[in-house]
Amino acid sequence: MTRSQRWTWLLSVGALIAGFALLGAACGGKSKSASNKPSSSGGGKNQPFANFRIAYDTGTDYLDPGLSYTVEGWSIMWNVYLPLLGYKHVNGPDGATIVPYLAKAMPKISSDGKTYTLTLRKGLKYSDGTPVKASDFRATIERDYKVDSPGVGFFSNVVGADAFSKTKKGHITGITTNDKTGQITIKLTQPQGDFQNILATEFAALLPPATPAKDQSPHPAAATGPYMIQSYKANKLAVVVRNPQWKSNKATGISEVPNGNPDKMTIDILGDPGVALTRTLKGQDDYDFQQPPPDRLGTLQSKYSNQTKVYTPANTYYFFMNNRVKPFDDVRVRQAVNYAINRQALVRVYGGLANPTENVLPPTYPQYKKHNLYPYNLAKAKKLIAAAGVKGMSITVWNHDRGQDPKATEYLTSVLNSLGFKAKDKIINSSVYWTTIGNQTTKAQIGFADWFQDYPHPLDWFDVLLNGTRITPTHNNNYSNFDDKAVNAKIASLKKQTNLSSSVNAQWAALDKQAMQQAAWAPFINRQFVDTFNSDIDLGCYVNHVLYQFDFATICHK
Amino acid sequence: MAQPATETEFTLDTAAELAAEESGAVIRGRSPWYLAWRRLRRNFVAFAFLGLFVLIVVACILAPLYAHHVAHSGPSNEHVLDTITVHGTKVDVVSKGGVLGGKLVASTPVGPQWFAAGGKYVLGADQLGRDIAVRLLYGGRTSLFVGIVSSLICVVAATILALLAGFYGGWLDFVITRFFDLFYAFPVILLGIALGAALAINGIHLGPIRANSGNIMIPTLVISYVLIPYVGRPLRGQVLSLRQKEFIEAAVAQGAGPLRIMFTELLPNVASSILVFFTLIVANNIVLEAALSFLGAGVQPPTPSWGTLISDGQGLIVTRPWFAIMPGLAIVLTVLALNVFGDGLRDALDPRAKVKIEH
Repeated sequence: MTRSQRWTWLLSVGALIAGFALLGAACGGKSKSASNKPSSSGGGKNQPFANFRIAYDTGTDYLDPGLSYTVEGWSIMWNVYLPLLGYKHVNGPDGATIVPYLAKAMPKISSDGKTYTLTLRKGLKYSDGTPVKASDFRATIERDYKVDSPGVGFFSNVVGADAFSKTKKGHITGITTNDKTGQITIKLTQPQGDFQNILATEFAALLPPATPAKDQSPHPAAATGPYMIQSYKANKLAVVVRNPQWKSNKATGISEVPNGNPDKMTIDILGDPGVALTRTLKGQDDYDFQQPPPDRLGTLQSKYSNQTKVYTPANTYYFFMNNRVKPFDDVRVRQAVNYAINRQALVRVYGGLANPTENVLPPTYPQYKKHNLYPYNLAKAKKLIAAAGVKGMSITVWNHDRGQDPKATEYLTSVLNSLGFKAKDKIINSSVYWTTIGNQTTKAQIGFADWFQDYPHPLDWFDVLLNGTRITPTHNNNYSNFDDKAVNAKIASLKKQTNLSSSVNAQWAALDKQAMQQAAWAPFINRQFVDTFNSDIDLGCYVNHVLYQFDFATICHK
Repeated sequence: MAQPATETEFTLDTAAELAAEESGAVIRGRSPWYLAWRRLRRNFVAFAFLGLFVLIVVACILAPLYAHHVAHSGPSNEHVLDTITVHGTKVDVVSKGGVLGGKLVASTPVGPQWFAAGGKYVLGADQLGRDIAVRLLYGGRTSLFVGIVSSLICVVAATILALLAGFYGGWLDFVITRFFDLFYAFPVILLGIALGAALAINGIHLGPIRANSGNIMIPTLVISYVLIPYVGRPLRGQVLSLRQKEFIEAAVAQGAGPLRIMFTELLPNVASSILVFFTLIVANNIVLEAALSFLGAGVQPPTPSWGTLISDGQGLIVTRPWFAIMPGLAIVLTVLALNVFGDGLRDALDPRAKVKIEH
């Protein structure tokens, strides 16, 4: 061995030893105890809180109420942009109660159910000092159309909305306003049972009329709520501060919107759930919006159980199956997928924090009636596939790249391969996933989808996700392109019911079964979530809303 | 007067020593390749690491045998709800989790069983109950395939471009050099992520080159593409230098055409550098594949590769650290083996050369 060979040998061995030493240090090193420094001065229940720091995820699409259609966007904005109506800021089912926000009172509804009349409170101002006018409501809805908002479908029943959507000129004739009296009149083409809920969405939150018809996330629009967005840098940071006009707005009688405890909310957008959890437990952030990695649940329970809250929002996780694309244009194939997936297995894929389901509606709904159409039966699934004559067909399974969700489609791919298909995954970035699968030119065959309610009403599930008459070429929410005439007719009929009586609820439950007999989707779980806080937070203040989940504004120090 | 021999790496291959070894036999002409082989075979370290690399390759090639006869499971077969028997006790492959008895319990896959479960789950399971040892071996096949094939494509393309640029010079050299410069301007990983993420949606459809998304050729082509300048540029320098040598002028004077000069005169003279580049770039490309797959822009799941396995293991780093460590270790050993052997090869082929991959 020459001198240089000896050196090469020594260096190689040295590098290996150093590598193992580093590995050992990385795995075996004990973390220092959490500093848990308080983030701010102040303290006590319902006392002011200087800066509430949130470890957020990267799912925020926009911070523009006309464009955002994610839990992340809405969780921030429901304390910023107020609609005419809204929800009570309380825990439990009472949170689904609609109350007046910017409107003086609940709307007067004509006897035919087609005309809604509301009156704007007097003396309201936007955070920039501009007075709020009744005509701003019409301008806001028209802006939704101009920015190609994902929420425009909610307003399609308003008289003149369809015509406006084509020209985007003039006004929506069905909305008339009077700035002097503050009166707002909305005329519908037919009665609509969920229209008050729609008026309570962020898409109907009033914006100044001069707000440009383009994404305002980088330069947030003026607010009407207790907070305003001071700045937003996508995928980095959002800062929310108190609205200087809120005191006077509140004085107009908005009793159902609390002032909020934090003076400021700093939203740190982080890509890694492990990092978000560590930052929160170490006191660098106050609240972890992200879900902890499943293998850290044990540590959370043993060391930080008094800093966590487990909750089940109204959600359904499902696999969509495109009815317009082979092989899922055949109901037998869709049924086979429903038989072949073992929902208990998928519960474990999500770390056990889920309940299996094959319903469209989540169990928190009074219209929910559990059905058992597809018990796990791989043999039956294989028979259905053989009968359909599609064995050996290539299938692409779509999903985004965030959290545990890719594992669900890896499981599905394995199941499809066991059924005799040639299946493979296609994982794309979460920021473009929904628009990609919602575009008809993609022709996505099958993939992952989930749904968290926009408002607590069955129409938000069936009309938005399964109504064949609402399929669109782009931004389509009916990823399955499910278009069953009987189901469409039933949705149209139930849409007219303004009162959710027990008989109406039973009809919704029957519709759930009817859609699943056609195997519109393969629903698999209702997921549970964990909110984690640092030790400085008093969870006695914790409010988890049925729609917006954890209400950031209610938080307080110990 | 003969100078005293000094201790250098070249001493062994001097004509005098060769003559002495052959005990007075007729001194035969030795080709540079033979001389290189003589130098290489005395480098035991390089050979030891070549042996290690061959061992890893053979293990990965035999993955189907291991999966079928030992682990009894394929690389993508899920076993979430299955149980295994360990020392007579039934154990869930993936334990129940969630809120059990009012407490948060993690749903955790089994850890390394070594041989307590009859060859199943030797290195444990992942969240879908798949056997990590099986996926590690199959992942090695993927990573080695991507590493070797992308290096071949890269080296062939870079050599052709270097020969064209170095031989013809002028505007062709200018265009090719600017192409190299353009790629130099981007960090390799960033360029790889951008291309990998963009092609993950629609695949590649460029004339005869067609690869749907999820095809393993996509990361292979992306990796080969982004590294072409890192091989092509130094080779071009060598060709430019050789272009001025007398033997090229002689070939031109004899009426040899450009193709003949490039492929029979210039190419053999840069062959040793190409060979060294190849071994070093295979190691480099295995690491690059792992990085891209870890970041989601490389090999698509459920196809295992060492990069995707590390990414999968990241979610279980607290309870099942071996899941991420094992593929990491496989990468370290493979890359170390290739680099040490590549260095040995370089020393053997041209001890004065300074061939290395830098980016």
